[in-house]
Amino acid sequence: MEAKFINCEQVREGLMDWLANEMPADEAQAVEAHLAQCPDCRREQAAVWQLWQAMGNLPVPEPSEQMRPRFYSMLAEFQAAEQRKQQWSVAALVQKLRDWWQPAYAMRLAYGLALLVVGLAAGYGLKARVDAPGAATQQPLAAVPAPAENAQQAQLLALLANPSAVQRLRAVSYAEEVAPTNERVVGALLSTLYQDPNVNVRLATLEVLAGLADDPTVRQGLVRALAQQDSPLVQSAMADVMVQLQERRSVRGLRKLLRQDNLNEQVKTKIEQSIQSLSHDRSAPADASTPSTYHENNDHTDSALDTSVAA
Amino acid sequence: MNSLTDNSLMLQVKAGQVDKMGLLFERYHRPLLAFFYHATSHATGSEDLVQTVFYRMLKYRHTFSGEGEFRTWMYHLARNVLADAAKKEKPAKYHQDVADWAEKIGGGPTADASLQKNQEVDLLHRALGQLSADAREVLVLSRFQELKYEQIATLLNTTAGAVKVRAHRALGQLKDIYMKMENGSKVH
Repeated sequence: MEAKFINCEQVREGLMDWLANEMPADEAQAVEAHLAQCPDCRREQAAVWQLWQAMGNLPVPEPSEQMRPRFYSMLAEFQAAEQRKQQWSVAALVQKLRDWWQPAYAMRLAYGLALLVVGLAAGYGLKARVDAPGAATQQPLAAVPAPAENAQQAQLLALLANPSAVQRLRAVSYAEEVAPTNERVVGALLSTLYQDPNVNVRLATLEVLAGLADDPTVRQGLVRALAQQDSPLVQSAMADVMVQLQERRSVRGLRKLLRQDNLNEQVKTKIEQSIQSLSHDRSAPADASTPSTYHENNDHTDSALDTSVAA
Repeated sequence: MNSLTDNSLMLQVKAGQVDKMGLLFERYHRPLLAFFYHATSHATGSEDLVQTVFYRMLKYRHTFSGEGEFRTWMYHLARNVLADAAKKEKPAKYHQDVADWAEKIGGGPTADASLQKNQEVDLLHRALGQLSADAREVLVLSRFQELKYEQIATLLNTTAGAVKVRAHRALGQLKDIYMKMENGSKVH
Protein backbone atom coordinates (compact mmCIF):
# COMPACT_ATOMS: atom_id res chain seq x y z
CA MET A 1 0.00 0.00 0.00
CA GLU A 2 1.31 3.41 -0.85
CA ALA A 3 1.84 5.58 2.19
CA LYS A 4 -0.54 8.45 2.71
CA PHE A 5 0.96 11.88 2.42
CA ILE A 6 0.54 13.96 5.55
CA ASN A 7 1.88 17.37 6.59
CA CYS A 8 3.52 18.69 9.80
CA GLU A 9 0.16 19.80 11.21
CA GLN A 10 -1.31 16.35 10.84
CA VAL A 11 1.76 14.80 12.46
CA ARG A 12 1.28 17.04 15.46
CA GLU A 13 -2.41 16.19 15.63
CA GLY A 14 -1.66 12.50 15.62
CA LEU A 15 1.13 12.81 18.16
CA MET A 16 -0.82 11.58 21.17
CA ASP A 17 -2.18 8.57 19.30
CA TRP A 18 1.29 7.81 18.07
CA LEU A 19 2.74 8.01 21.58
CA ALA A 20 0.06 5.88 23.14
CA ASN A 21 0.32 3.36 20.34
CA GLU A 22 -3.30 3.94 19.43
CA MET A 23 -2.55 4.83 15.82
CA PRO A 24 -3.72 2.65 12.92
CA ALA A 25 -0.82 1.02 11.06
CA ASP A 26 -1.24 2.88 7.78
CA GLU A 27 -1.33 6.22 9.54
CA ALA A 28 1.77 5.33 11.54
CA GLN A 29 3.49 4.53 8.28
CA ALA A 30 2.53 7.90 6.91
CA VAL A 31 3.98 9.57 10.01
CA GLU A 32 7.24 7.66 9.59
CA ALA A 33 7.36 8.72 5.96
CA HIS A 34 6.87 12.36 6.90
CA LEU A 35 9.46 12.24 9.67
CA ALA A 36 11.98 10.77 7.26
CA GLN A 37 11.92 13.96 5.21
CA CYS A 38 11.06 16.65 7.81
CA PRO A 39 13.92 17.39 10.27
CA ASP A 40 11.80 19.83 12.32
CA CYS A 41 9.13 17.28 12.99
CA ARG A 42 11.76 14.66 13.62
CA ARG A 43 13.40 16.78 16.31
CA GLU A 44 10.08 17.64 17.91
CA GLN A 45 8.85 14.06 17.86
CA ALA A 46 12.10 12.73 19.30
CA ALA A 47 12.00 15.19 22.21
CA VAL A 48 8.43 14.33 23.07
CA TRP A 49 9.13 10.64 22.70
CA GLN A 50 12.03 10.96 25.10
CA LEU A 51 9.88 12.74 27.63
CA TRP A 52 7.13 10.16 27.23
CA GLN A 53 9.62 7.34 27.80
CA ALA A 54 11.12 9.09 30.80
CA MET A 55 7.67 9.45 32.29
CA GLY A 56 7.13 5.75 31.84
CA ASN A 57 10.33 5.12 33.74
CA LEU A 58 9.39 7.28 36.68
CA PRO A 59 9.65 5.11 39.74
CA VAL A 60 6.64 4.49 41.86
CA PRO A 61 7.06 3.59 45.51
CA GLU A 62 6.66 -0.07 46.38
CA PRO A 63 3.58 -0.79 48.45
CA SER A 64 4.54 -0.95 52.09
CA GLU A 65 4.36 -4.22 53.97
CA GLN A 66 1.30 -3.06 55.86
CA MET A 67 -0.70 -2.29 52.76
CA ARG A 68 -1.89 -5.81 51.96
CA PRO A 69 -2.76 -6.87 55.54
CA ARG A 70 -4.55 -3.58 56.03
CA PHE A 71 -6.70 -4.19 52.98
CA TYR A 72 -7.55 -7.76 53.93
CA SER A 73 -8.49 -6.88 57.46
CA MET A 74 -10.70 -4.10 56.14
CA LEU A 75 -12.28 -6.60 53.75
CA ALA A 76 -12.88 -9.13 56.53
CA GLU A 77 -14.41 -6.45 58.72
CA PHE A 78 -16.63 -5.29 55.91
CA GLN A 79 -17.73 -8.85 55.23
CA ALA A 80 -18.55 -9.48 58.87
CA ALA A 81 -20.51 -6.25 59.15
CA GLU A 82 -22.38 -7.16 55.97
CA GLN A 83 -23.29 -10.57 57.37
CA ARG A 84 -24.48 -9.09 60.63
CA LYS A 85 -26.59 -6.63 58.72
CA GLN A 86 -28.09 -9.42 56.67
CA GLN A 87 -28.89 -11.47 59.71
CA TRP A 88 -30.54 -8.53 61.34
CA SER A 89 -32.30 -7.07 58.42
CA VAL A 90 -33.37 -9.50 55.76
CA ALA A 91 -33.47 -12.94 57.28
CA ALA A 92 -34.64 -11.91 60.71
CA LEU A 93 -37.29 -9.57 59.41
CA VAL A 94 -38.70 -12.10 56.99
CA GLN A 95 -38.76 -14.72 59.70
CA LYS A 96 -40.53 -12.43 62.09
CA LEU A 97 -43.06 -11.47 59.46
CA ARG A 98 -43.64 -15.13 58.68
CA ASP A 99 -44.03 -15.92 62.32
CA TRP A 100 -46.75 -13.55 63.15
CA TRP A 101 -48.05 -11.61 60.22
CA GLN A 102 -49.52 -14.51 58.34
CA PRO A 103 -51.39 -16.23 61.15
CA ALA A 104 -52.72 -12.83 62.10
CA TYR A 105 -53.86 -12.28 58.57
CA ALA A 106 -55.44 -15.71 58.43
CA MET A 107 -57.16 -15.05 61.72
CA ARG A 108 -58.63 -11.79 60.50
CA LEU A 109 -59.75 -13.43 57.31
CA ALA A 110 -61.26 -16.41 59.07
CA TYR A 111 -62.89 -14.18 61.67
CA GLY A 112 -64.55 -12.01 59.08
CA LEU A 113 -65.70 -14.91 57.01
CA ALA A 114 -66.90 -16.91 59.95
CA LEU A 115 -69.03 -13.94 61.00
CA LEU A 116 -70.43 -13.59 57.52
CA VAL A 117 -71.16 -17.26 57.03
CA VAL A 118 -72.62 -17.67 60.49
CA GLY A 119 -74.78 -14.60 60.05
CA LEU A 120 -76.10 -15.83 56.75
CA ALA A 121 -76.68 -19.32 57.99
CA ALA A 122 -78.44 -18.13 61.09
CA GLY A 123 -80.57 -15.75 59.09
CA TYR A 124 -81.54 -18.51 56.79
CA GLY A 125 -82.31 -20.73 59.74
CA LEU A 126 -84.70 -18.12 61.12
CA LYS A 127 -86.55 -17.70 57.86
CA ALA A 128 -86.80 -21.27 56.80
CA ARG A 129 -86.24 -24.01 59.30
CA VAL A 130 -86.04 -26.65 56.67
CA ASP A 131 -82.48 -27.82 56.72
CA ALA A 132 -81.58 -27.49 60.34
CA PRO A 133 -84.30 -26.78 62.85
CA GLY A 134 -81.87 -25.95 65.62
CA ALA A 135 -79.74 -23.65 63.54
CA ALA A 136 -81.47 -20.43 64.45
CA THR A 137 -80.85 -20.80 68.13
CA GLN A 138 -77.41 -22.31 67.88
CA GLN A 139 -75.75 -20.21 65.23
CA PRO A 140 -75.85 -16.79 66.91
CA LEU A 141 -73.85 -18.20 69.78
CA ALA A 142 -71.24 -19.34 67.32
CA ALA A 143 -70.94 -15.77 65.99
CA VAL A 144 -68.13 -15.36 68.46
CA PRO A 145 -65.64 -17.47 66.54
CA ALA A 146 -64.19 -20.33 68.44
CA PRO A 147 -60.44 -20.17 68.81
CA ALA A 148 -58.45 -22.68 66.86
CA GLU A 149 -58.93 -25.82 68.86
CA ASN A 150 -55.43 -27.07 68.64
CA ALA A 151 -52.03 -26.53 67.14
CA GLN A 152 -52.96 -28.53 64.05
CA GLN A 153 -55.74 -26.17 63.21
CA ALA A 154 -53.66 -23.12 63.91
CA GLN A 155 -51.02 -24.43 61.56
CA LEU A 156 -53.68 -25.16 58.99
CA LEU A 157 -55.03 -21.63 59.15
CA ALA A 158 -51.54 -20.24 58.70
CA LEU A 159 -50.86 -22.49 55.74
CA LEU A 160 -54.09 -21.48 54.03
CA ALA A 161 -52.88 -17.88 54.00
CA ASN A 162 -49.50 -18.79 52.57
CA PRO A 163 -48.62 -16.96 49.37
CA SER A 164 -47.38 -20.17 47.77
CA ALA A 165 -50.11 -22.14 45.97
CA VAL A 166 -48.29 -25.39 46.73
CA GLN A 167 -48.42 -24.60 50.45
CA ARG A 168 -52.11 -23.81 50.26
CA LEU A 169 -52.75 -27.07 48.41
CA ARG A 170 -50.93 -28.84 51.20
CA ALA A 171 -53.12 -27.03 53.70
CA VAL A 172 -56.30 -28.09 51.92
CA SER A 173 -55.36 -31.75 51.81
CA TYR A 174 -54.23 -31.43 55.40
CA ALA A 175 -57.66 -30.06 56.24
CA GLU A 176 -59.21 -33.26 54.95
CA GLU A 177 -57.14 -35.29 57.42
CA VAL A 178 -57.82 -33.07 60.38
CA ALA A 179 -61.56 -33.21 59.66
CA PRO A 180 -62.13 -29.52 60.28
CA THR A 181 -65.20 -29.27 62.38
CA ASN A 182 -63.83 -26.00 63.69
CA GLU A 183 -65.77 -23.06 62.40
CA ARG A 184 -62.71 -21.00 61.71
CA VAL A 185 -61.21 -23.72 59.60
CA VAL A 186 -64.44 -24.10 57.66
CA GLY A 187 -64.57 -20.34 57.24
CA ALA A 188 -61.03 -20.24 55.94
CA LEU A 189 -61.73 -23.09 53.53
CA LEU A 190 -64.81 -21.34 52.21
CA SER A 191 -62.90 -18.13 51.73
CA THR A 192 -60.27 -20.11 49.86
CA LEU A 193 -62.98 -21.44 47.59
CA TYR A 194 -64.35 -17.92 47.06
CA GLN A 195 -61.19 -16.07 46.33
CA ASP A 196 -58.09 -18.17 45.99
CA PRO A 197 -56.39 -17.13 42.73
CA ASN A 198 -55.24 -20.66 41.98
CA VAL A 199 -57.69 -23.01 40.23
CA ASN A 200 -56.10 -26.15 41.62
CA VAL A 201 -56.37 -24.86 45.15
CA ARG A 202 -60.03 -24.01 44.62
CA LEU A 203 -60.75 -27.47 43.14
CA ALA A 204 -59.06 -29.22 46.04
CA THR A 205 -60.94 -27.04 48.48
CA LEU A 206 -64.23 -27.81 46.76
CA GLU A 207 -63.53 -31.51 47.12
CA VAL A 208 -62.87 -31.21 50.83
CA LEU A 209 -65.89 -29.00 51.41
CA ALA A 210 -68.15 -31.39 49.45
CA GLY A 211 -67.17 -34.04 51.98
CA LEU A 212 -68.32 -31.75 54.79
CA ALA A 213 -71.63 -30.90 53.18
CA ASP A 214 -73.58 -32.35 56.08
CA ASP A 215 -72.83 -29.09 57.81
CA PRO A 216 -75.49 -26.56 56.75
CA THR A 217 -72.89 -23.78 56.92
CA VAL A 218 -70.79 -25.56 54.35
CA ARG A 219 -73.78 -26.25 52.07
CA GLN A 220 -74.82 -22.65 52.24
CA GLY A 221 -71.26 -21.55 51.54
CA LEU A 222 -71.01 -23.81 48.54
CA VAL A 223 -74.21 -22.43 47.07
CA ARG A 224 -72.97 -18.90 47.52
CA ALA A 225 -69.58 -19.74 46.04
CA LEU A 226 -71.25 -20.99 42.88
CA ALA A 227 -71.95 -17.60 41.33
CA GLN A 228 -68.45 -16.31 42.05
CA GLN A 229 -66.54 -18.83 40.02
CA ASP A 230 -65.08 -17.78 36.72
CA SER A 231 -62.98 -20.80 35.88
CA PRO A 232 -64.83 -23.37 33.67
CA LEU A 233 -63.09 -26.17 35.54
CA VAL A 234 -64.36 -25.03 38.89
CA GLN A 235 -67.77 -24.15 37.48
CA SER A 236 -68.38 -27.63 36.15
CA ALA A 237 -66.90 -29.27 39.24
CA MET A 238 -69.29 -27.23 41.38
CA ALA A 239 -72.24 -28.18 39.20
CA ASP A 240 -71.28 -31.82 39.75
CA VAL A 241 -71.10 -31.36 43.48
CA MET A 242 -74.50 -29.68 43.54
CA VAL A 243 -76.10 -32.58 41.69
CA GLN A 244 -74.31 -34.97 43.98
CA LEU A 245 -75.61 -33.20 47.07
CA GLN A 246 -79.01 -32.69 45.48
CA GLU A 247 -78.70 -29.09 46.60
CA ARG A 248 -81.79 -27.54 45.08
CA ARG A 249 -80.98 -24.11 46.37
CA SER A 250 -78.10 -24.08 43.95
CA VAL A 251 -80.46 -23.82 40.99
CA ARG A 252 -80.60 -20.09 41.36
CA GLY A 253 -76.82 -19.82 41.47
CA LEU A 254 -76.52 -22.11 38.49
CA ARG A 255 -78.97 -20.01 36.51
CA LYS A 256 -76.96 -16.96 37.39
CA LEU A 257 -73.87 -18.72 36.08
CA LEU A 258 -75.69 -19.43 32.82
CA ARG A 259 -76.12 -15.72 32.31
CA GLN A 260 -72.34 -15.10 32.37
CA ASP A 261 -71.25 -13.75 29.00
CA ASN A 262 -68.08 -15.71 28.48
CA LEU A 263 -69.36 -19.03 29.71
CA ASN A 264 -67.64 -22.06 28.24
CA GLU A 265 -70.00 -24.03 25.94
CA GLN A 266 -69.31 -27.34 27.62
CA VAL A 267 -69.86 -25.86 31.01
CA LYS A 268 -73.10 -24.35 29.79
CA THR A 269 -74.39 -27.75 28.68
CA LYS A 270 -73.28 -29.26 31.93
CA ILE A 271 -74.98 -26.64 34.03
CA GLU A 272 -78.18 -26.95 32.05
CA GLN A 273 -78.13 -30.67 32.70
CA SER A 274 -77.48 -30.10 36.35
CA ILE A 275 -80.37 -27.69 36.65
CA GLN A 276 -82.65 -30.21 34.99
CA SER A 277 -81.46 -32.96 37.23
CA LEU A 278 -81.96 -30.82 40.34
CA SER A 279 -85.42 -29.62 39.30
CA HIS A 280 -86.84 -32.97 38.29
CA ASP A 281 -85.21 -35.72 40.25
CA ARG A 282 -86.94 -34.86 43.43
CA SER A 283 -90.05 -32.85 42.92
CA ALA A 284 -91.52 -33.77 46.29
CA PRO A 285 -89.89 -31.14 48.57
CA ALA A 286 -89.89 -28.59 45.77
CA ASP A 287 -91.55 -26.05 48.08
CA ALA A 288 -88.29 -25.95 50.01
CA SER A 289 -86.66 -24.00 47.21
CA THR A 290 -89.15 -21.19 47.53
CA PRO A 291 -88.20 -19.95 50.95
CA SER A 292 -84.54 -20.34 50.14
CA THR A 293 -84.85 -18.10 47.11
CA TYR A 294 -86.81 -15.70 49.19
CA HIS A 295 -84.11 -15.78 51.81
CA GLU A 296 -81.40 -14.94 49.31
CA ASN A 297 -83.10 -11.67 48.61
CA ASN A 298 -83.30 -10.78 52.25
CA ASP A 299 -79.82 -11.47 53.53
CA HIS A 300 -79.43 -8.13 55.17
CA THR A 301 -82.71 -7.99 56.97
CA ASP A 302 -82.13 -11.49 58.16
CA SER A 303 -78.73 -10.71 59.54
CA ALA A 304 -80.07 -7.69 61.36
CA LEU A 305 -82.88 -9.74 62.80
CA ASP A 306 -80.36 -12.36 63.71
CA THR A 307 -78.23 -9.99 65.75
CA SER A 308 -81.19 -8.74 67.68
CA VAL A 309 -82.11 -12.29 68.55
CA ALA A 310 -78.56 -12.97 69.64
CA ALA A 311 -78.62 -9.88 71.81
CA MET B 1 -18.03 -16.46 30.41
CA ASN B 2 -14.71 -15.67 31.99
CA SER B 3 -15.42 -15.33 35.66
CA LEU B 4 -12.03 -13.75 36.24
CA THR B 5 -12.46 -10.60 34.18
CA ASP B 6 -12.51 -7.38 36.16
CA ASN B 7 -16.13 -6.83 35.35
CA SER B 8 -17.33 -10.28 36.33
CA LEU B 9 -15.32 -10.18 39.54
CA MET B 10 -16.86 -6.86 40.46
CA LEU B 11 -20.32 -8.16 39.58
CA GLN B 12 -19.70 -11.10 41.90
CA VAL B 13 -18.70 -8.68 44.62
CA LYS B 14 -21.90 -6.79 43.95
CA ALA B 15 -23.90 -10.01 44.19
CA GLY B 16 -22.54 -10.59 47.68
CA GLN B 17 -19.26 -12.45 47.17
CA VAL B 18 -17.40 -9.66 48.85
CA ASP B 19 -14.18 -11.67 49.15
CA LYS B 20 -13.78 -11.49 45.35
CA MET B 21 -12.53 -7.96 45.96
CA GLY B 22 -9.25 -9.55 47.03
CA LEU B 23 -8.39 -10.44 43.44
CA LEU B 24 -9.16 -6.94 42.29
CA PHE B 25 -6.95 -5.59 45.04
CA GLU B 26 -4.09 -7.78 43.82
CA ARG B 27 -4.60 -6.45 40.32
CA TYR B 28 -5.04 -2.78 41.03
CA HIS B 29 -3.45 -1.68 44.26
CA ARG B 30 -0.19 -0.87 42.48
CA PRO B 31 -1.70 1.10 39.59
CA LEU B 32 -3.86 2.98 42.08
CA LEU B 33 -0.89 3.65 44.31
CA ALA B 34 0.93 5.07 41.29
CA PHE B 35 -2.10 7.17 40.40
CA PHE B 36 -2.19 8.79 43.83
CA TYR B 37 1.55 9.00 44.11
CA HIS B 38 1.89 10.86 40.83
CA ALA B 39 -0.94 13.14 41.83
CA THR B 40 0.20 13.88 45.37
CA SER B 41 3.87 12.88 45.54
CA HIS B 42 3.10 11.45 48.91
CA ALA B 43 3.84 7.76 49.33
CA THR B 44 2.22 6.90 52.67
CA GLY B 45 -0.73 9.19 52.08
CA SER B 46 -1.24 7.47 48.76
CA GLU B 47 -1.61 4.11 50.45
CA ASP B 48 -4.39 5.49 52.61
CA LEU B 49 -6.12 6.80 49.53
CA VAL B 50 -5.84 3.42 47.80
CA GLN B 51 -7.41 1.82 50.85
CA THR B 52 -10.21 4.36 50.70
CA VAL B 53 -10.86 3.55 47.04
CA PHE B 54 -11.21 -0.14 47.84
CA TYR B 55 -13.47 0.61 50.76
CA ARG B 56 -15.68 2.79 48.60
CA MET B 57 -15.79 0.14 45.88
CA LEU B 58 -17.18 -2.24 48.51
CA LYS B 59 -19.56 0.26 49.97
CA TYR B 60 -20.89 1.52 46.66
CA ARG B 61 -20.69 -1.80 44.83
CA HIS B 62 -24.36 -1.54 43.86
CA THR B 63 -23.49 1.45 41.65
CA PHE B 64 -21.37 -0.77 39.41
CA SER B 65 -23.67 -1.64 36.53
CA GLY B 66 -21.30 -3.92 34.64
CA GLU B 67 -22.09 -2.04 31.43
CA GLY B 68 -19.04 0.17 31.53
CA GLU B 69 -15.53 -1.01 32.21
CA PHE B 70 -14.49 -1.76 35.74
CA ARG B 71 -11.31 0.32 35.43
CA THR B 72 -13.26 3.38 34.36
CA TRP B 73 -15.57 3.00 37.33
CA MET B 74 -12.61 2.44 39.66
CA TYR B 75 -10.81 5.56 38.46
CA HIS B 76 -14.02 7.48 38.75
CA LEU B 77 -14.08 6.62 42.44
CA ALA B 78 -10.33 7.21 42.73
CA ARG B 79 -10.72 10.72 41.32
CA ASN B 80 -13.43 11.44 43.86
CA VAL B 81 -11.22 10.15 46.66
CA LEU B 82 -8.43 12.39 45.42
CA ALA B 83 -10.71 15.42 45.22
CA ASP B 84 -12.03 14.75 48.75
CA ALA B 85 -8.51 14.41 50.09
CA ALA B 86 -7.43 17.61 48.37
CA LYS B 87 -10.34 19.43 49.99
CA LYS B 88 -9.50 18.09 53.42
CA GLU B 89 -5.75 18.58 53.32
CA LYS B 90 -4.00 21.83 53.03
CA PRO B 91 -3.83 22.76 49.36
CA ALA B 92 -0.08 23.21 49.66
CA LYS B 93 0.32 19.51 50.08
CA TYR B 94 -1.23 18.82 46.72
CA HIS B 95 -0.10 21.72 44.59
CA GLN B 96 3.08 21.13 46.33
CA ASP B 97 5.94 23.38 46.77
CA VAL B 98 8.87 22.07 44.80
CA ALA B 99 11.22 22.75 47.70
CA ASP B 100 9.53 20.57 50.28
CA TRP B 101 8.64 17.96 47.71
CA ALA B 102 12.07 16.34 47.68
CA GLU B 103 12.03 16.28 51.44
CA LYS B 104 8.75 14.44 51.50
CA ILE B 105 9.93 11.78 49.13
CA GLY B 106 13.24 11.47 50.90
CA GLY B 107 11.54 11.17 54.27
CA GLY B 108 8.85 8.74 53.17
CA PRO B 109 9.48 5.19 54.33
CA THR B 110 8.78 3.75 50.90
CA ALA B 111 10.52 6.33 48.78
CA ASP B 112 12.73 4.82 46.18
CA ALA B 113 16.36 5.54 46.98
CA SER B 114 17.23 5.75 43.33
CA LEU B 115 14.91 8.76 43.10
CA GLN B 116 17.39 11.00 44.78
CA LYS B 117 20.29 9.62 42.83
CA ASN B 118 18.81 9.96 39.44
CA GLN B 119 18.70 13.64 38.74
CA GLU B 120 16.81 13.32 35.50
CA VAL B 121 14.04 11.35 37.11
CA ASP B 122 13.99 13.76 40.01
CA LEU B 123 13.66 16.71 37.67
CA LEU B 124 10.89 15.15 35.69
CA HIS B 125 8.92 14.29 38.79
CA ARG B 126 9.26 17.81 40.05
CA ALA B 127 8.17 19.13 36.69
CA LEU B 128 5.12 16.93 36.84
CA GLY B 129 4.38 18.32 40.26
CA GLN B 130 4.34 21.81 38.82
CA LEU B 131 1.67 21.04 36.26
CA SER B 132 -1.88 22.07 37.06
CA ALA B 133 -3.91 19.25 38.60
CA ASP B 134 -6.05 18.92 35.47
CA ALA B 135 -3.11 18.75 33.11
CA ARG B 136 -1.28 16.29 35.33
CA GLU B 137 -4.32 14.08 35.64
CA VAL B 138 -4.70 13.56 31.90
CA LEU B 139 -1.03 12.61 31.61
CA VAL B 140 -1.15 10.35 34.63
CA LEU B 141 -4.21 8.54 33.35
CA SER B 142 -2.90 8.04 29.85
CA ARG B 143 0.76 7.40 30.61
CA PHE B 144 0.81 5.75 33.99
CA GLN B 145 -2.57 4.08 34.16
CA GLU B 146 -2.45 3.20 30.49
CA LEU B 147 -6.04 4.07 29.97
CA LYS B 148 -7.07 4.59 26.37
CA TYR B 149 -8.16 8.09 25.37
CA GLU B 150 -11.63 6.73 24.89
CA GLN B 151 -11.69 5.48 28.49
CA ILE B 152 -10.31 8.72 29.86
CA ALA B 153 -12.97 10.56 27.90
CA THR B 154 -15.68 8.47 29.60
CA LEU B 155 -14.08 9.16 32.95
CA LEU B 156 -13.80 12.92 32.41
CA ASN B 157 -17.15 13.10 30.68
CA THR B 158 -15.75 14.49 27.44
CA THR B 159 -14.67 13.27 24.01
CA ALA B 160 -11.54 11.33 23.10
CA GLY B 161 -10.52 14.19 20.82
CA ALA B 162 -10.71 16.68 23.67
CA VAL B 163 -8.66 14.37 25.88
CA LYS B 164 -5.95 14.13 23.24
CA VAL B 165 -5.82 17.88 22.86
CA ARG B 166 -5.60 18.31 26.62
CA ALA B 167 -2.91 15.63 26.91
CA HIS B 168 -0.95 17.14 24.06
CA ARG B 169 -1.04 20.55 25.68
CA ALA B 170 -0.08 19.10 29.07
CA LEU B 171 2.83 17.29 27.53
CA GLY B 172 4.02 20.52 25.94
CA GLN B 173 3.78 22.31 29.29
CA LEU B 174 5.63 19.50 31.00
CA LYS B 175 8.37 19.71 28.42
CA ASP B 176 8.72 23.47 28.92
CA ILE B 177 8.83 23.18 32.71
CA TYR B 178 11.32 20.37 32.46
CA MET B 179 13.59 22.32 30.10
CA LYS B 180 13.47 25.37 32.34
CA MET B 181 14.40 23.29 35.37
CA GLU B 182 17.13 21.52 33.50
CA ASN B 183 18.64 24.83 32.39
CA GLY B 184 18.26 26.18 35.91
CA SER B 185 20.12 23.26 37.45
CA LYS B 186 22.86 23.57 34.86
CA VAL B 187 23.30 27.20 35.74
CA HIS B 188 23.73 26.26 39.40
